[in-house]
Amino acid sequence: MIVPLSHALLLASLLFTLGLICVLIWRTNVIMLLIGIEIMLNSAMLVFVAASNHWGVVDGQVFALAIIAMTSAEVSLALAMVVYLHRRRKTVNVDELRELRD
Amino acid sequence: MKTALELIILLPLLGAVGNTLFGRMLPRRAVEVLACAVVWGSFATALFAAGAYTGPTVVEAGPWLSSFSLKAPISFYLDPLSLSLCLMITFVCGLIHLYSIGYMREDPGHVRYFALLNLFVGAMLILVLAENLPLLYLGWEGVGFCSYALIGFWYREAKNATAGRKAFIVTRIGDIGFGIAIVWMFKVFETLSITRINETGQMVSMGVITALGLLLLLGAMGKSAQAPLMVWLPDAMAGPTPVSAQIHAATMVTAGVYLLMRMFPLIGVSTTVAAAIAATGAITAFYGATCALAERDLKRILAYSTISQIGYMLLGVGSGAITAATFHLIIHAFFKALLFLGAGCIITAMRHEQDIFRMGNLRRDLPAVFWPFLAGALCLAGLPPTGGFFSKDSILTAVWAKGGMYYGLLYALGMLTVFLTAFYTFRMLIIVFGERPTISTRRSKETHALAPLPAVMTVILIPLAVLGLAGGLFNLPAYLGTGLLHGFLASLDAAGESISPATGLVLQAVAAVVGLSGMAAAWWYYGPERRHACLARAEQPASGATAFLQAGWYVDALYRHIFIRPYTWLSAVLWEQVDEGGIDDSLDRMAAQLGRSGQSLGRWGGGRVSLYMLSLTAGATLMIGWFAWVML
Repeated sequence: MIVPLSHALLLASLLFTLGLICVLIWRTNVIMLLIGIEIMLNSAMLVFVAASNHWGVVDGQVFALAIIAMTSAEVSLALAMVVYLHRRRKTVNVDELRELRD
Repeated sequence: MKTALELIILLPLLGAVGNTLFGRMLPRRAVEVLACAVVWGSFATALFAAGAYTGPTVVEAGPWLSSFSLKAPISFYLDPLSLSLCLMITFVCGLIHLYSIGYMREDPGHVRYFALLNLFVGAMLILVLAENLPLLYLGWEGVGFCSYALIGFWYREAKNATAGRKAFIVTRIGDIGFGIAIVWMFKVFETLSITRINETGQMVSMGVITALGLLLLLGAMGKSAQAPLMVWLPDAMAGPTPVSAQIHAATMVTAGVYLLMRMFPLIGVSTTVAAAIAATGAITAFYGATCALAERDLKRILAYSTISQIGYMLLGVGSGAITAATFHLIIHAFFKALLFLGAGCIITAMRHEQDIFRMGNLRRDLPAVFWPFLAGALCLAGLPPTGGFFSKDSILTAVWAKGGMYYGLLYALGMLTVFLTAFYTFRMLIIVFGERPTISTRRSKETHALAPLPAVMTVILIPLAVLGLAGGLFNLPAYLGTGLLHGFLASLDAAGESISPATGLVLQAVAAVVGLSGMAAAWWYYGPERRHACLARAEQPASGATAFLQAGWYVDALYRHIFIRPYTWLSAVLWEQVDEGGIDDSLDRMAAQLGRSGQSLGRWGGGRVSLYMLSLTAGATLMIGWFAWVML
């Protein structure tokens, strides 16, 4: 084991925090929000992989593969929606999209 | 007998209901006939009951209030007192109903009028015949309601409606006392039957009886317009004149006296109560007579005379002379109905002028009214040999017979009132009917002509005049034979010291002399020679004692200062400060506060996704942090 678990966990939490900050701060673009979510998901995958490596169980890696598949589907769908949104509303600013309020 | 008693009460009620429901569809004549027929039918039934009368009977017509030990069935009690009052009420009210046909012949509200008048009679008959106190109270309140509605009959004028409300509210003050007395009696005696209470009531302690008696006296004060609750009666003149006649003569105001007579076997045991009743009566009699001395309004003079005469009745009750009081009640009903109906004729003829100083010459113009009115005035003044003389004298004799310093004082007050009564009666008579040379110059020709009177209005006066004048025959003094009424009502009287015929004769002579001197004084003061000066004086605003008496001793103003002012002040405080300022305002402020906080909370849900995310993150961080804190 080259990389200890604690390092992987540290990196994962760092990534998660960065992704979260990206989601919270970058409001002017939906795409940046999606990127933030992707980063957070990746940090979670990193934890899965690191844990699976640490305990020598394959389940975590399988789960990481499943997440990758799910994420790619999600991103393709979300980006399609962003493109559609941009066509209709001429904006991708998160704060201007508040129709679901009521 | 049972059917007869039920019919006596049901007939007027039937008339009231019938006129209320169908009166508007019927022609005017049918309404009048129905209203009069039921009352006369009731009188005929009462006559039948009198013929079939053998002794006091209790008749139960049906169940009414009944729960646990409280039993108040609809039961009637016929004894000499209630029987004689029934006859009087139905007869006098029958005449008043007939008179009303003439008096109200142009009024559009005749259906309401006759329905209320019938209801009035029905309620009074319930009151008189009731065997238990709740039923009596039903009639009592019914009478109060009808008087309220009839005093304010012409309610479009605020003054009349206010007078109606005043009558209702002032009598309600007395009713509180009566209501408390009823509940207390049930607590003490476990029954509400008047006969049973009167039979066994004397067992309880004297203090309780005294308190009950004073409470009943309070009720009677309100209803019978006795001091200090007499203020409503002069204002009650706002109603139509036949209504005044009915209130004063037969129904409303006699109810209080009747209540005290009815309960006298119980409350008469307490000398304090008897003394209080007598004192109330004497003081009120004096008060009414003095106020009538200066009053200018014909109907208000008669109202004050009623207050005064009812005072005599209470004086009689307080002296234990129930027969004398009943006698005076009945004779008073005749002559007061006569005077009021006569006054109604005068007022109609004068086109609704009520100021006596604007009248005059009526002896020549209205002879058909003058002679009955003279008879009524003689009765009121208590001049021999009218019925009024004998009835009033029997009360004064009873007071004298009680003896002692206290009753001696009351007797002197009563005698002074006899003088005043004769004085104001003849003042009224002389000014209204006497010659008035200036009248034709003061008035233009067309208003001078008197309005025509329907024959029914003047004819009604004759039987009343005859009964008033000859009423003494009902109850002759002992030296002239046995009194019819006296023998009839003997069972009711408290055992008092009887006086020798000679003393009675002397007392009667004194009363007659006092009454005649009052008449002479009025003649001297207002007679033809001084009439001109008197009329000139009447044009000036009143001053000094006259103003004091015209304002009714300023009792109204006194009550306004003592009760009405603080009450309105308190209401204003409660309304503006407590209700609007305290309760409403605090609620308003709380609602505004909640609204504001809701709005600031609502800003969270403004639809901004970033804010949701931030909140979510903050919440999740908090939870995770807390878990971490707990776990580690």
